[in-house]
Amino acid sequence: MTEMNRDLFELQIADDSESEHIASPQYSYWRSVFRKFFSSKLAIFMMILSLIVILLSIFQPMFSGYDPNVTPNINRPEMKYIRPNSTYWFGTDDVGNSLFDAVWKGTGTSLFISFMATFITTVLGVVIGMWWGFSKRVDAIMIEVYNIVSNIPATLIAMILAYALGAGPWQLIFALAVTSWVNNAYFIRVQVMIIRDREYNLASRCLGTPTWKIITHNILPYLVSVIMTSVSRDVPSFISYEVFLSYIGVGLGQQYISLGRMIQQYSPYMTSTPYLFWIPVAISALISVSLYIVGQTLADASDPRTHMV
Amino acid sequence: MSGNKEVLVEVKNVDITFGSGKKIFRAVTNASFNIYKGETFALVGESGSGKTTIARAIIRLNNTSAGEILFKGKKINGKLSKEDRTWVQRNIQMIFQDPAASLNERATIDYCISEGLYNFHLYKDEADRQRKVDDALNAVGLLPEHKSRYPHEFSGGQRQRVGIARAMIMEPEFIIADEPISALDVSIRAQVLNLMNKFKDERGLTYMFIAHDLSVVRYFADRIAVIHNGRIVEVAPALDLFRYPIHPYTQSLLQAVPMPDPKIEKAKQLKVYDNSVEEESADDGALTEIIPGHYIFMNEKQRSGFEAKLKEMKELEKNQ
Repeated sequence: MTEMNRDLFELQIADDSESEHIASPQYSYWRSVFRKFFSSKLAIFMMILSLIVILLSIFQPMFSGYDPNVTPNINRPEMKYIRPNSTYWFGTDDVGNSLFDAVWKGTGTSLFISFMATFITTVLGVVIGMWWGFSKRVDAIMIEVYNIVSNIPATLIAMILAYALGAGPWQLIFALAVTSWVNNAYFIRVQVMIIRDREYNLASRCLGTPTWKIITHNILPYLVSVIMTSVSRDVPSFISYEVFLSYIGVGLGQQYISLGRMIQQYSPYMTSTPYLFWIPVAISALISVSLYIVGQTLADASDPRTHMV
Repeated sequence: MSGNKEVLVEVKNVDITFGSGKKIFRAVTNASFNIYKGETFALVGESGSGKTTIARAIIRLNNTSAGEILFKGKKINGKLSKEDRTWVQRNIQMIFQDPAASLNERATIDYCISEGLYNFHLYKDEADRQRKVDDALNAVGLLPEHKSRYPHEFSGGQRQRVGIARAMIMEPEFIIADEPISALDVSIRAQVLNLMNKFKDERGLTYMFIAHDLSVVRYFADRIAVIHNGRIVEVAPALDLFRYPIHPYTQSLLQAVPMPDPKIEKAKQLKVYDNSVEEESADDGALTEIIPGHYIFMNEKQRSGFEAKLKEMKELEKNQ
């Protein structure tokens, strides 16, 4: 056994600041969100699919110049009800127009209505929901507004508005927004109430942070994933709602084409020329499902609890 | 001892209630105490006794339903003008219990610490703000490179030090520390307490320290108030309180501190606090000075009993 000797030891001075270093790489919220999102193959596939649909619905009508009111082939029976082939990919409809052109024009209208309605209801919902959740006085008024508005059947309001305002896309967007903003606001209100009294908000108040800054810096960043969830639910639901309203005949007028209008118009052809009915239905389902999956994956990815893996 | 010291915070007959009508809940009843400049005043009591409620009333997070709170002789509870509110926010700061919950998880440490600076624009230019944040981080033993990090990347002790830095950067005179170490690992509790003591010495701060752990309070506080069911039952200098715990609730609280000696622990006769003592004095009782600086909540009938007890304790001390 070696003898204990001073020479065997070396003086080490403990440096406290060494232990304070954080070894992990810099964390960035948005970079983590995108990394998480792109780690899902299904989400990438669905995003490409919905991008194709969106781009087609924007650009295809520009080239085809399709207009539901222009029917050059209406007196040529040989041009009607042509089944899908290499010339007419989706066949032709009851007035001899290419269904391929009609479908993309209609998809464009449906997407426009749904995106606009989602945008309006989300902005209204977030802004009003924030104040609603924060202020007891606003809450007392808004909860009564909510009770009244949410208890009137939305379809009824939409029908009355459609009759009163006319049957254009903007009128439909208005009707959709009027009937659903209050639900979005209520949803945000509940979320705000959950995190409103957390300790870090009390700390901010002790530091003299004004309420609007607490909302923008302390509450909103926490709600990104919640708002994302709500958007990804709203877009497909507005598409279906548009289809439903058009189907019962209170949506868009005859001079417009949308997926809902097409489904309504071609439902009698379900057995004779099924492609006229099923292609718009399939496109509508495709958009709804792909946008929903993309939105949900994005909502999950924007929740920082999923970043810590 | 109270005569020659400057009173910084004065709490006078404060009641705090929650709810209204039949569901009214009285969290704090008739609380009165003074905090002198430069001291560490501890408020101890069990969970739900109203410690945090009083602290939050001082910093204006809770409303009071009766009584007055004075800071440097100026009333700070109830409705205040904007300037007065700013004055309170600049001069009174709080350190929170749970370092994980009291930092904004979506903000960088840079923003967390400079939040107060932004609100009152306490810096000349961006470089000055950066310098102040760096200084604050250095003062609590963190590194300037931490500024771009997020709270979840830190350990509990580091986060609590961020919380301290955030309060200190406002250069307050009075700090309320709401159980600042009870959520921390035992190994770093001393580190945080030493840091708080360092700031007290350097800047002449006054602390109100809320705790339920009496062994910590004994080390840290100058004066102690014991609170039970929203009522302050005993106020005394720290040494005095441990020497002569007169109120039965204080006695039972002190007995709950475990001694690291199995023989003493085995021989310990546990006193269970009987609420009737307090109930007896609940209506006409008041904090009464029994020895100079040592106050007990009692009414006139109980006085002789408490005085006899004090005498007994002093006798016992002499004999030992």
